[in-house]
Amino acid sequence: MVALTAGCASEPKTVSVYHAGSLAQPFQAVEKNFEAANRNTDVQLEAAGSVDTIRKVTELGKQADVIGSADYRLIPQMMYPNYADWYIVFATNEIVLCYTDQSKYASEINADNWYEILQRPDVLWAFGSPNIDPCGYRTVMTIKLADLAYNKPVFNNLLAAHTAITIKEENGVYTITTPEALNPDTKYVTIRDKSEDLVSMTLAGGIDYAFEYRSVAEQNKLKYVELPPSINLKDVRYESTYGKVKVKISNGTTQTAAPIAYGITVPKNAVNKDLGIKYVEQVINENGQKIFNDMGQPPTVPALGSGTIPEQLKKYVEMID
Amino acid sequence: MLSEIRRNPLLILFFILGMVIVGYIIAALSHMLYSQLVLHPGEFIAVIKDPVVLQSIWLTLYTSFIGTVIAVILGIPLAYILARYDFHGKDIIEAIVDIPIIIPHTVAGIALFSLLMKRGAVGTAFSKLGIVFQDNMWGIVMAMFFVSCPFFVGTAREGFKSVNPNLERVARTLGASQWESFYQIALPLTFRHIFSGAIMSWARGISEFGAIIILAYYPMIASTLILARFNTNGLQGSQPIAVLLIMVCFVTFVVLRLISKRGAKR
Repeated sequence: MVALTAGCASEPKTVSVYHAGSLAQPFQAVEKNFEAANRNTDVQLEAAGSVDTIRKVTELGKQADVIGSADYRLIPQMMYPNYADWYIVFATNEIVLCYTDQSKYASEINADNWYEILQRPDVLWAFGSPNIDPCGYRTVMTIKLADLAYNKPVFNNLLAAHTAITIKEENGVYTITTPEALNPDTKYVTIRDKSEDLVSMTLAGGIDYAFEYRSVAEQNKLKYVELPPSINLKDVRYESTYGKVKVKISNGTTQTAAPIAYGITVPKNAVNKDLGIKYVEQVINENGQKIFNDMGQPPTVPALGSGTIPEQLKKYVEMID
Repeated sequence: MLSEIRRNPLLILFFILGMVIVGYIIAALSHMLYSQLVLHPGEFIAVIKDPVVLQSIWLTLYTSFIGTVIAVILGIPLAYILARYDFHGKDIIEAIVDIPIIIPHTVAGIALFSLLMKRGAVGTAFSKLGIVFQDNMWGIVMAMFFVSCPFFVGTAREGFKSVNPNLERVARTLGASQWESFYQIALPLTFRHIFSGAIMSWARGISEFGAIIILAYYPMIASTLILARFNTNGLQGSQPIAVLLIMVCFVTFVVLRLISKRGAKR
């Protein structure tokens, strides 16, 4: 078999990697390392929202060799048990508010007044669809957490007043519902499927402020307001604070606010399973860690594993179950 | 037609090869139509009754229609000039008109967004007139117009080329004004081309998606809604809308082709 594969080595083996939009740049860098380490392979990256990415495998029956999700929890939620039985958490991120020099009130904005500036009638801000993009529902969580952190009705003024998003409190836990028809009042706020789509709109000057992952802001050289750790979903020390906010998205699933962590797996129906696993290795080994550090998505070291982790990857991960 | 096939073996070959194309299109769609209409008719019926879906399909047809009207009004003069006159830089102008066919839709969307956004050069001027493009129906119209106008201009240009310019010259020598010879000779003789160019342009507008979701994600046209439902409810949620859109468009296009045929016969 080995001889056979070596015999037809002229035809490069394709590794299909379906991934969240926010992983595009680091995964391109990983691709270079991977192709250098594994001769005669061709990595094909395909970016989309994380939910969409997973649905391509679970609903459309496409065969990916690697799935990279911006929220590791989507892998067990959507792919277990038929399409995957393990995942690895390998990097973190945080929610920031992006802008450019042309944005209205760019010279004034900071971590203390951002929510007041977003309420000004001549400011247009935007976020990704909470129903499609994890960055979108995380933005909704951040905005609700801002209520609690600043003790001001930020959620009502920014979201409840201008969209169909609603909220309910029960015993100190807030459940936000994002209906399919979000109906943003586009004079003040707009929504796109992927928060990455907002980058070019912000750079063009059509939008003043957009909620993005920090990595996306850094990779696109956008200015950003760094939000306090109690609301930016980065800091594991605030896990219990985050946990007070839940978002029920339109497919019926409920997401609980938690520190942002990326997950990766090789689907059970992968065509080139061994190469998929080798790609994961390039994401979580030292070379991979360096890439993620450089791109503003701090790696989780060691990576955290759950489920039936493949033998070759075990040395890189600490099991969490 | 049938008796001719018997007499002409070449026609049999052409018929078989031609049917491969038709068969290919039917094969691609039949699985979807079958699984929706026969296996899961309940979901399809629910979609037919869903006002959000119906509104999005209506909006798609209607915005593309307005985009086509704009393409016809502005495209006929351009097509006429390109068909009748030779001038410096004509090749360049023809190439420019074809650019929307070539460029990726997302790129077109970003370019249109920069131009038409509320604070863009053109967007600001229009917002003073009360017309907004960003996340607005007019943005959908402009994106559809952008991607579909080359189809109209190209077809209409071929139409004007097919009309012998001497007919207009004769009319002029008989005392018709320039407008009269255009309006009464060139335009009616080009009717079939103009009509089918308009259908092409309308169809292209209906299928546009990539550019629209950047400039005007809202209000949702059918393809935006299909993607949104696919992302939230999967294939089960999106496929019935796609099937309904295909059916509505198919019936509309058949009717339009019949009208076009009748118009040409007269």
